[in-house]
Amino acid sequence: MIKYQHTTLANGLEVVANRDSSSRMAAINILYKVGARNENPHRTGLAHLFEHLMFRGTHLVPDFDTPVQMACGENNAFTNNDYTDFYITLPKDNIETAMWLESDRMTGLNLSAQACEIEKRVVIEEFRQRYLNQPYGDVSMLMREMAYTTHPYRWATIGLKPEHIAEASLEEIHSFYRNFYHPSNAILSVSGDIAPEQVFELAHKWFGAIADTPYTANPIPREPVQTEPRRMEVEREVPATTIVIAFHMGNRLSHDFFLGDLTSDLLAGGDSARLYEHLIKNKQLFTSVNAYISGDVDEGLFTFTAQLLPTTSEQAAEEALWEEIGLLQSGNISDYELEKVKNKFEANTLFGELNVMNKAMNLGYYSMIGDLPLINREVEIYRSITRSEVADFAQRTFRKDNSSTLIYRAR
Amino acid sequence: MMQQPPLTIPQSIDVQRAEKHIAPNSTPIYVLNCPEYEVVRLSFVFHAGTLTQQHPFTASATANMLAEGTQNLSAQQIAEELDYYGSYFDINIDRDYTYITFCSLSKFFEPTAKIIEEIILRPTFPTAELEIYRAKRKQQLAIERRKVETLAREHFAKAIFGDTHPYGISYPESEYDTLCREHLLQHYTANYTAQHCIVVCSGNITAQVLNHITSIVGALPSVQVEDNVTLPPFSSSRLRRIQHDGAVQSSIRMGRLLFPRTHPDFIPMQVLAMVLGGYFGSRLMQNLRERNGFTYGVFSAMVNFQHTGYLAIATQVGCEVTDQALQEIAREIELLRREAIPAEELELVKNIMAGEMMRILDGPFGIADVTTENILCGFDNSHIQQNLERIRQTSSEELLTLAQRYLCPDDMTTVVVGEFNG
Repeated sequence: MIKYQHTTLANGLEVVANRDSSSRMAAINILYKVGARNENPHRTGLAHLFEHLMFRGTHLVPDFDTPVQMACGENNAFTNNDYTDFYITLPKDNIETAMWLESDRMTGLNLSAQACEIEKRVVIEEFRQRYLNQPYGDVSMLMREMAYTTHPYRWATIGLKPEHIAEASLEEIHSFYRNFYHPSNAILSVSGDIAPEQVFELAHKWFGAIADTPYTANPIPREPVQTEPRRMEVEREVPATTIVIAFHMGNRLSHDFFLGDLTSDLLAGGDSARLYEHLIKNKQLFTSVNAYISGDVDEGLFTFTAQLLPTTSEQAAEEALWEEIGLLQSGNISDYELEKVKNKFEANTLFGELNVMNKAMNLGYYSMIGDLPLINREVEIYRSITRSEVADFAQRTFRKDNSSTLIYRAR
Repeated sequence: MMQQPPLTIPQSIDVQRAEKHIAPNSTPIYVLNCPEYEVVRLSFVFHAGTLTQQHPFTASATANMLAEGTQNLSAQQIAEELDYYGSYFDINIDRDYTYITFCSLSKFFEPTAKIIEEIILRPTFPTAELEIYRAKRKQQLAIERRKVETLAREHFAKAIFGDTHPYGISYPESEYDTLCREHLLQHYTANYTAQHCIVVCSGNITAQVLNHITSIVGALPSVQVEDNVTLPPFSSSRLRRIQHDGAVQSSIRMGRLLFPRTHPDFIPMQVLAMVLGGYFGSRLMQNLRERNGFTYGVFSAMVNFQHTGYLAIATQVGCEVTDQALQEIAREIELLRREAIPAEELELVKNIMAGEMMRILDGPFGIADVTTENILCGFDNSHIQQNLERIRQTSSEELLTLAQRYLCPDDMTTVVVGEFNG
């Protein structure tokens, strides 16, 4: 249970505060409601490149990191398809340093041509390190391109290709900043031993004077309903063949999201879960097997992956996964098993509430999806899910004509 | 624009001392009671790292197979029970030690403890489960070794310790085929004993919880052993370049053998490693990433083993700029040897290190980790405050002297894995 208070400043900035009296540290999180889904298909990777540029200094503070570090703080950021998140943890007495820095870079960023050129090179090295120079590094990219025809989830946050990053113009970068980095597109969340009223006061002091520059983003195209099975086969220099099957599922606020999440736990949450017990332990087909949801804000994917033992044929592997799907669809789920995944969900929720950073980050996230109280309601929602709901979800979701299958074959 | 707010720099870090109890078989149990958290975390640290194994992969296989079947429970029953209570455990193995850490909600500690008891005291290492484990790990290792950073790490260990030295050696995946149940049993019997174990627990440790822990720990067999591992001498080489077909980035590791954490120069060398590449604005990051765009990241740190320690720099750079990156790294090291670090930069690094300690020590699990590390080095938690003071005392002159003494280019080992023909 995370206690919080919420307010909105006159310029549209949302502020959420949690008091944690047990910690000497404070976490300050600022979330901008912009991600790769807001990009144009001809200039992908821009949201993530921009996250990097946010550390390139402002006219007032030429180096962002040094003042954070002088304050014994640490900061970082990440971008995904839906949003961009910046966070600082530091001793709570230095919280104003974090507020000062975040308010400063909301408007004063120094986007010089030279800084942009160097940062593009860094991001292209990141592209190579994480996607091109890794075994199986392109699996998620291939799957996105197959499963989505229209929606911008078609590309990963890093972008469709390094050229999109290399060719981004200074003008595009400036207008991205103008359009997406302003108070009414941001959420400030704080956790630490500070009274919420004081957090609101500080937010007002540091962010209150920033003028909002509202912008109406282009509507995000909807993904048309898939009507036929899709399939892609590639060969790569890897030691083991991997099979990935993905299905479209509901968005973050639909009940199907919770059903999908719980179903993925039934299948693959821990060593006692079905896929591991059945396919690795009993049938000995795979060296690893997983099922997970993408967790996106818009309609996302439910994905199965399996890494084959050299002795397992591709056909046997696919059949085994579909057999597991069949078991769920027929409602073959015990009360004990359901209880187990619910307990596990509850425990993980509690383990996740032990530090200020997780809490600040979660408060920002739940505000962003537009249902802050959900942060404390999820355990109850999971508790209420029944066997027949899971079977029904599996029947509706795990259909051949809603599937995209990737055979990633070892050469 | 508004003024920069004033700063408060923490001058002390208060961490509770661990309360030491001794089980009847003389195994020490360290308790960090944090009753405000409704969780229990229990760590067993056995002196059973890869250094103690008689056969390749035995130390990791033994630890990872502890929960794969015991006298009274099957692997599946163990997994089911732990998952049912939302409890979990982690296994970590290094050259010196094996760490087994269990976490549970306080309200489910009793049923979890029953499973812990089975896992720690009564594993049977069933052959069928071992076969699955071997096939899985063999394939995973083959995949890992497609990565330049994995290869660089392995080759670097060989290059600084010696190819066959127990701190440096690595084995081909095919050695998994030779691993059998007897190896695991032998390793377990020899090393999972009262004399080779310390226990650290944190969270809400009530008298009842402690009793339960003591009864499990007290049942570890007491085996009198001569603990005189004699390490062969280290032998470092200067440079290794390893060709990896098709790589688009090279992985670079550079460093040298130094000394363990107990050495009086360890802390100032940590400060020096921090200046060089320990944080986002470090000299190597400024140079390789921010000024040149050669890399996504570059790091340096002191690494501690029981019997020694080393300084390492690690990065991945575009293959085409590998030599330039090596030159820039050498240039930054040379600069540390030639010029004293400016006062503001050193002040910044000291504050970062203080902040890092505070962050690690925020919450019961982090305190337990630091306590464990201190105990293994023969310190108690007052060492944390001493460390902070030692960091504060470190001067630019001292670091210049240390850089000249320890960062001589002739003493450095360099390993590069990448595509050299492309």
